[in-house]
Amino acid sequence: MSSIQPYTYAEATTPASNIPHALLPFLETQSQNTLTRLYQLPSSCLSIFRLLAPLERQLVMNLLWLESAIPASTMAAWVVREGKQQYDAALGNLARIHILPNSTVKLALNSTFKSSFRQAITGGGSSGSFGVPAVLDEKRPPLNVEGLDGYALERWETILHYMVSSGTGQHPTRPSPGVLFLLERSGLMASTYGSPLQITSAGFQFLLHSPHAQLWDLLLQYLHMAEERQMDLVEVLSFLFMLSTMELGREYSTEYLGPSQKAMLEDLRDYGLIWQRKPSSRRFSPTRLATTLTSSSPPLPTMTGTSSGPPEGFIVLETNYRIYAYTDNPLQTAVLNLFVSLKYRFPNLVVGSITRDSVKKALANGISADQIISYLITHAHPQMRKNVPLLPVTVQDQIRLWELERNRLKSQEGYLYTAFASQADYEFVLNYAKELNVVLWESTAKRCFFGTLAGHANIRGFIERRTAGGTM
Amino acid sequence: MDDARGSHLSVLIDLSPTQWHNSAQGPPRNTYPLPLNSFLSQLLAFLNSHIASKHENTLAVFGAFPGKSVMLYSTIDPTNHDQAIDANSYPPFRLVDSTIVTRITEELEALGEPEEEAPSSLVSALIKALCYVNRVTLPSVSTTNNPADGHDPAILPDPRILVLSVSPDLSTSYIPIMNAIFSAQKLKVTIDVCQIYGPDTIFLQQAAHLTGGSYIFLERRDALLQYLIMSFLSPPSIRKILSVPTQDKVDFRAACFCHKNIVDIGFVCSVCLSIFCQPVPVCSTCRTKFPMKTLQRLNASRPLLSSSTSNASRTSPSTPQARTPTALGADTGASTTNGARSSTAPLGGLPHSGSIGNGTPRAANINGSRPGPEAR
Amino acid sequence: MPPRRDNDKFIQADSDSDISVDDEDFSKSHKGKGKADVRRKRDVKGKGKAKDTQSYTWEASYTRSWETVQEDEAGSLQSSVDDWMARGRRRRLLEPSTAIRRTIIRHLILLLDLSTSMMDRDMRPTRFDLMLQVVREFVAEWFDQNPLGQIGVVGMRAGIGERIGEMSGNPQEVLKCIADRHKLEPTGEPSLQNSIEMARSSMSHLPTHSSREIIIIFGSLTTCDPGNIHETLDACVKAKIRISVVALAAEMKICRDLCDKTGGQFGVALNEGHFRDLLFELIPPPAQQAVSRGASRATNPSADLMMMGFPTRLPDTSPPSLCVCHSEVKSEGFLCPRCLAKVCDVPTDCDICGLMIVSSPHLARSYHHLFPVRAYDAVLSADEAASNSCHGCFRPFPPPPTGTTTTSEGLSPLGRYRCPDCKNDFCSECDVFVHDVIHCCPGCGQ
Repeated sequence: MSSIQPYTYAEATTPASNIPHALLPFLETQSQNTLTRLYQLPSSCLSIFRLLAPLERQLVMNLLWLESAIPASTMAAWVVREGKQQYDAALGNLARIHILPNSTVKLALNSTFKSSFRQAITGGGSSGSFGVPAVLDEKRPPLNVEGLDGYALERWETILHYMVSSGTGQHPTRPSPGVLFLLERSGLMASTYGSPLQITSAGFQFLLHSPHAQLWDLLLQYLHMAEERQMDLVEVLSFLFMLSTMELGREYSTEYLGPSQKAMLEDLRDYGLIWQRKPSSRRFSPTRLATTLTSSSPPLPTMTGTSSGPPEGFIVLETNYRIYAYTDNPLQTAVLNLFVSLKYRFPNLVVGSITRDSVKKALANGISADQIISYLITHAHPQMRKNVPLLPVTVQDQIRLWELERNRLKSQEGYLYTAFASQADYEFVLNYAKELNVVLWESTAKRCFFGTLAGHANIRGFIERRTAGGTM
Repeated sequence: MDDARGSHLSVLIDLSPTQWHNSAQGPPRNTYPLPLNSFLSQLLAFLNSHIASKHENTLAVFGAFPGKSVMLYSTIDPTNHDQAIDANSYPPFRLVDSTIVTRITEELEALGEPEEEAPSSLVSALIKALCYVNRVTLPSVSTTNNPADGHDPAILPDPRILVLSVSPDLSTSYIPIMNAIFSAQKLKVTIDVCQIYGPDTIFLQQAAHLTGGSYIFLERRDALLQYLIMSFLSPPSIRKILSVPTQDKVDFRAACFCHKNIVDIGFVCSVCLSIFCQPVPVCSTCRTKFPMKTLQRLNASRPLLSSSTSNASRTSPSTPQARTPTALGADTGASTTNGARSSTAPLGGLPHSGSIGNGTPRAANINGSRPGPEAR
Repeated sequence: MPPRRDNDKFIQADSDSDISVDDEDFSKSHKGKGKADVRRKRDVKGKGKAKDTQSYTWEASYTRSWETVQEDEAGSLQSSVDDWMARGRRRRLLEPSTAIRRTIIRHLILLLDLSTSMMDRDMRPTRFDLMLQVVREFVAEWFDQNPLGQIGVVGMRAGIGERIGEMSGNPQEVLKCIADRHKLEPTGEPSLQNSIEMARSSMSHLPTHSSREIIIIFGSLTTCDPGNIHETLDACVKAKIRISVVALAAEMKICRDLCDKTGGQFGVALNEGHFRDLLFELIPPPAQQAVSRGASRATNPSADLMMMGFPTRLPDTSPPSLCVCHSEVKSEGFLCPRCLAKVCDVPTDCDICGLMIVSSPHLARSYHHLFPVRAYDAVLSADEAASNSCHGCFRPFPPPPTGTTTTSEGLSPLGRYRCPDCKNDFCSECDVFVHDVIHCCPGCGQ
């Protein structure tokens, strides 16, 4: 059964600045005990601090060097009236990850966090949480920065390229089984009836994210998996944070790593986060993917550097739906191919146009209009950035309208309740259903209503109780 | 994520040996002595906090020594990368700390012991800082080729300059400072000022006011780090939500061209706008002759003028002096004393800078010395 | 390097015209934009020196500004860029090092016609766009020459006067209020009377020593007024407000009257260049004012010594008290240094003791003209003792080029420029920045 609904606009997208980092919700779900163990390491404190929103960072800093708790009203006095809401939200966020215990009277940082973070800022201590550097080996010098970047890029693009070209009949290099397993587990790719892995709609959406978001998407999945694989979550997290504070182009020793962390080396090597000369090597170097985990700069500055396009962006979109992409990168071309019908290819230029069919194909793959638009915006050519608005309005609107064409009908499963004995009966049950908020559609004239699947058990129970009571 | 680009902070440290020596003196002279080494350890913690806040944040540190100004550290051209790293500290922090401390020691040793100390060249450091900001904001060949900053420096948001001054105003530097202020306005640079030791400096006050920064006269010098973090760490976007201490008063006085005195009532040439502290027959700058009539009129009004303001110390034509806030307050009834202000709860209005030290428990300084009991 | 590469990319996009016909207008529009830029630069340079030949817009020939840019053998524009810089340096060397005469405080309200007649295309691209562009340049130049002045902006549209920008001494603020053309979209009829009244009322509080001026840029041939405009004119004469009009369409009797009676200038623009010239003629301070100051100073009528006070600004958090100018209870304000009365805004005359109160930055804005930095010398040969980074921004100097390179006169092959006073070396960007913006040498600066 289905009910007809008027189509609605997609919810207004929240401004990018308000979206908390993907890892924070995960941290919020962890127990206070886990977090406290994590906060014992200065490097973890520093990395988590960097993931916070700017206001939250300032609040932590304001409280960091205070010896005793201060009255909440003192801090609140510094907040301007318009910022009150944001301030309260920031306090709430900090409380949820147990950095600033919730209190209406006194404000003081979690003591473990405070002492570790102070140590991170001033240096010193003996935790070794910033990674123990390996002794320089004369015979085998560490890989230089360019080498590391090339390695990371190759690994990462292999994964993405595998995803984007699955099901197109091409056969790019397969990533390692561990990566494939992760992709399948995270729902980015799926295999039906033993056939080779196919990209899912979530996977298509994934491809349009920024490299940084992609990386964290995968790592979050990895964290979820780590819990199931009986790995110590604190060790896993702290290793990631340690990597993010390491210096690019240096070698670190594996000797002081915990068992879970040693197990991670292999996986992270597959993702391109670290480099090892050979799997049994007792030293490793973090790549740029790892050292920029807690920053917002592009993790791979060489991502477009290998192609001849300018690093900031390469797409020119015109009002006539024509698109010019200055790239020779097969991955970027393949991603564009998701929603553009490509027409010509030159050594450094791809020309195509956005058509109804190409967008419909993308929409059918589960990509949303907003994702297409945001991809075009983030990769716009510097010349495009002089335009206000950046993308031609006609094209933006048309892409949205094409999406809306699909959304006219929305189906929902449920039950239709009819044949009520009396109007009173009908209203009584209807009111009950409304209280549960499970009514999708109602018609008083026909004395029937449609309830969701979830509410069915309750409503049926209610009707049964009522009919039973009625016969008594 | 939040604003993707980091913010740039240039810090100017006034390193006048005499002033720091005075600053380290004990209680009869200073209620809260602050020696240079304790200042530096707190400053380094502040600099680290700035780098910690965001991976992309950039930093430059300039030192103003007597008669010389040098760059101590800059994120864009780091000096020694090959230092050994240590498992217990974040490599960038170590780099900042060691570079700055080594450079300061070198420079101070090179200074020797001259007969008479030249005034510290804060202005020249300020101008260099502006040149540097100009360099990092301009999308130029050499900066974009630099791998140290992967992002496009052309859209570097809100560069800031923090001046940590210990010297009094130098009236000869009036014109360079003013020129620097207008350049900062043009570059959209915010200048924050923290007067750590010595009297209020009216020129730096004007610099902070005109560029939208904040000026703080450090009252509780044992809580330096807390002052620095609460007032100067936050970028302008955060200051809209979490306000920073506002300026007490801004003194718009100028220095005259003839004797370099700081004056509050001056005589101005209508042609070139040069300021003189007394009526002169000929403008020394543009050689314009002034009419006798005006001269006589102005001279006639002078005695009256000086007698009417004889009680206010600000007209004293010699050196800049610290005005006690009550001197003006008594005249106008417009200002209250500090103690009274900090004891009243801020209602609607924003707290005054004095309430950092008084209203909150003090920061421990890094050396581990615990602060005394609460002031209230 | 990268910026130029981007350009190359883009030129390629333009040359892809074989792709399809509908690319054409896109590439054209971009070419057009680039051309406009070049032309603007040229105009700025040529301004004042050689006036464009005075022909009507429709008689002018099409200028091919891109042909003036020369590529070198390698197809690079670097030589042209160098040439530009060298020219700038030579110009600086020629600048007089003597003090430049400045004037006293001016107050100006710009009345912009925002009626539908401004959408006429007889001036390119439209009268409206041209006006905005010229006014922006005008404002920048005006503040440069009148550092103590203040400009307010009022628009005339839909029969009313509309305050677009408050009186401000900050060029950035004034430019900001006319930056967004979408907020200024022309509609309806203009009303001279309404907008002059608005301008007049916003200048009523000004001190006696300041000049009050209105500049009207008028593109319409009608005005839609609620009352008798001649009464407004009389009020302006009484308030000593000078009105100048630059008409874009044709002469109107009332506009001519406004200018004649108040001592302003009237002009009708022939074409774009003439419009700019007419407007820029209004930048130097008016001569009449100097004459009115009295015959006894005939030798140098405008020269005088003025007594001025530098106030103290009270913070927003200070306890509220009454101001002497409006008798309102306010926290913020400025204290007169002589009588300690509180006034709301500066520059002004103190209402109690009559002292002229200005903040010192107002005056200081013009000092760089008084003490210019001496031009740096180009370093022509390598010098062992020289430091290896710029003394201003600490940018490392490039290694000296091998072999002989030919550079234009006034440019250093090493990219080094040396201050003749402090003997420090600077890079070319700092050279430009120091002389054009800071006006203070980092090496000699005390």
